[in-house]
Amino acid sequence: MIVDALGWLLGAGSVLCAWRVFRADSMVRAAYWLLAAFVGVGMILVLLTAQFLGLVLILMMAGEMTIMAVFMVMFMMNPAGLNPMQMVHQHRASIVAGVTAFIGLTAVALLAPFPERPVPPGAAVTRETGMELLGDSMVIFETAAVALLATMIGAVALAARRGRHGDAYEGSVPPAMDPEEGA
Amino acid sequence: MSALAGVLATAAAMAIGVYLVAAMDAAASRGLGIGGAVALPLRRGLALFLRPRARTEHPDAEAWALAPAALAGLAAVGLATIPLAPGLSVADVSAGIVLFGAAMALVMVAAFLQGWAPNSIHPMIAGYRFVAQALSYEMPLALVLIGAALPAESLSVGAIVESQAHLWNAIRQPLGMPLFLVAVAGLAFWGPLALPEGEDLAGGTSAEISGAARLAWRVARLMVLVAGAAMTAAVFLGGWHGPWLPGPAWSILKTVAVLGLLVWARHRFVRVPIERFVWVSWVVLIPLALLDVFLAGAQALWAAP
Repeated sequence: MIVDALGWLLGAGSVLCAWRVFRADSMVRAAYWLLAAFVGVGMILVLLTAQFLGLVLILMMAGEMTIMAVFMVMFMMNPAGLNPMQMVHQHRASIVAGVTAFIGLTAVALLAPFPERPVPPGAAVTRETGMELLGDSMVIFETAAVALLATMIGAVALAARRGRHGDAYEGSVPPAMDPEEGA
Repeated sequence: MSALAGVLATAAAMAIGVYLVAAMDAAASRGLGIGGAVALPLRRGLALFLRPRARTEHPDAEAWALAPAALAGLAAVGLATIPLAPGLSVADVSAGIVLFGAAMALVMVAAFLQGWAPNSIHPMIAGYRFVAQALSYEMPLALVLIGAALPAESLSVGAIVESQAHLWNAIRQPLGMPLFLVAVAGLAFWGPLALPEGEDLAGGTSAEISGAARLAWRVARLMVLVAGAAMTAAVFLGGWHGPWLPGPAWSILKTVAVLGLLVWARHRFVRVPIERFVWVSWVVLIPLALLDVFLAGAQALWAAP
């Protein structure tokens, strides 16, 4: 009963936070409204007795949303992300995409046959998740994990200032203040 | 434990812990006796509380108000997962260290918002600096916690303490505790890792706050330190295991000892530059943490029947 009420409350809260993402006028605010929506989803997972998955979702999203905010600030050339800015663009395309996604997800939620198997209290759900991840599906997950790790190491190696060929700044010239001068 | 009793117990433990750290720090920094050390935090806290609050131009007022409250709440969540004695914890969840890890990961959000919200240059750089610091200590933090969970074959903090009945994790996994303490200092930006509060940034995240807001921020940071120290005592120092004294007494004594160590470290070591910390963390600490996990995994496999 109280779990049901909490579930509805968290669901409504997540939708509200997700809506605020598109009303925010700064990248940091938008990122953290999205984080709030994800925290709500993580808590719903905890209510569904998937404690490990729910908590890991919150754990990962905390870092990811911050990194996303930092990257958006860097790419947008908005000094440090402090100035208010218009966060929505391409209205028509995004409305079409949003409505399509909403109809699709609603259709899945209403029409798909979901299994009716309440998890008994005290079930070893974390253990079963681990068995699933590192049992039959291990090759898939390990392949993905190694590919992601290689990508990250590659990105760091490419972005690092110091490389095999010395300092990246060596021999480079600062951009000219006057376009004529640089030509 | 009922919900209200749990909240009250966590709040009381936090209040005592924070006051204890402040008093120990006062004693260590000013060479005060016990009476002076106990009185000083109260005097300074009251003085801060009565001072007017500072304003800045166009701050993000909601985020600014949220940041210290969120930090304090996250520290309380972290402390609530830690049992004082078998079964005696506020939140005895099966994935306890994951809950602790999630709360400590959200510390990054609170600290970043604290730096970003005043709409001012020094706190903002401090916020970005904390993100760099957090991304550097989070990996060792998570890895050594996983290492500590391996011999227990459980993510529950109680089960991890129970697995140390014969041998503490601090001895079984010698790399774990030093790495975890570095991460705790980073989490609370304490002592040598108080980089987001650095004087080079005019006080960093604290540069634009005064009065009650400054007091709240300082208390919240100490709360994170207390939660981290309590976790160190539980996960690496055997928690309630010990001779003669009852279990809760051992948990508390070990937490106080870790806090004492952290206070000593604050006065013993200088602050490190953020670039050097990031470098050391990614090049030295994360490989060491991986080694810790591999060794713990090998031990667990070897010990398995």
